[in-house]
Amino acid sequence: MVRGYDRILLAGCDTCVAECAAGGKKEVAEMAAALQLLFCQAGQNKDIREVSVDRQCIQEFLLDVVVAGEQADAVVSLACGAGVQALAALLPNTPVFPGLNTLFIGETAARGMWLENCRGCGDCVLGETGGICPVSRCAKSLSNGPCGGAKEGLCEINISLKLDPPAPCAWLQIYDRLKALGQLDRLTLVRPPKDWSKADSSGPRRVIRPDQQA
Amino acid sequence: MNEKINVVVLACSQALPQPQALKASLAGAGLKAQVVPEPCSSKIEVYQLLRILAREADMVWMIGCPETVCQYLEGSARMGKRVAYAQTYLIELNLEPQRVGMSILSPGDAEGLKAVAAGIASQAQFLGPLPCHAGAPAAKESNK
Repeated sequence: MVRGYDRILLAGCDTCVAECAAGGKKEVAEMAAALQLLFCQAGQNKDIREVSVDRQCIQEFLLDVVVAGEQADAVVSLACGAGVQALAALLPNTPVFPGLNTLFIGETAARGMWLENCRGCGDCVLGETGGICPVSRCAKSLSNGPCGGAKEGLCEINISLKLDPPAPCAWLQIYDRLKALGQLDRLTLVRPPKDWSKADSSGPRRVIRPDQQA
Repeated sequence: MNEKINVVVLACSQALPQPQALKASLAGAGLKAQVVPEPCSSKIEVYQLLRILAREADMVWMIGCPETVCQYLEGSARMGKRVAYAQTYLIELNLEPQRVGMSILSPGDAEGLKAVAAGIASQAQFLGPLPCHAGAPAAKESNK
């Protein structure tokens, strides 16, 4: 994507993507060195610069990046997709390319392992399911209990995906959690079909807080 | 030919308390060598390995303690993982992954040090200079 540009700015974000070792200062430095090696091998002399900000998804944090970006021929943003777009919006005359393929809203489950624990569905059921999300953590996103494919506490997707560590059955986890909380009665409630209109199937979503607006 | 090969060694100070000995061995093998003492091999990040390669070195080598005697407990294990990760970059860049490597050395092991020096020299001579360092113009410095 950036082969045709001479002055390239790599822009990192030091919050979420830094936490998941994908797009913070260190990863910007990795990519800069890798690109330097790549272009050097091709006999090309490129001006590769590095910058990183605390939050690329908030315009107020982007002032320094915008100044640096205006002096570049192209920008590669290592932020999530939201950060890439926030930066692109402030750089109308400079192409901004994504340096990452943003996957999900995740939890740092262990060092070097991130799990998708929220799908941003807009209709949260965590209060009813013991704080364990069946939308993101059940492979079938079932709303009313397990599918029957679980074996020894594990989801059947382990058979084909051979996950390591294996994915547990979210609904068995929900059962165990509610049992420990003394709230198994929650499982007797039948949930109506989920309101997916608030999820990502209804066009671009937005949140407006009048009290926060200028 | 060998004088052109630039090797940077990043060595745990516990594993290699006297880096001059290794530097002398590598220089004796005809290499341009820098041996940089580090507090622990785990302190070296992937971006540093790649940056050294991109800017000056034809090969970057790390030296750490055996895992069982690492004073930082996980230092040597982390070193191995970071070397492996840096090598994946080199593979993607169509460069020899062996341009980043590592050795384990017990503190005070003179014979081991000789073997490490011989291994580094042999590897560097086998790989030769990075083509871009040999001929192409150097990349401009970043703003960092």
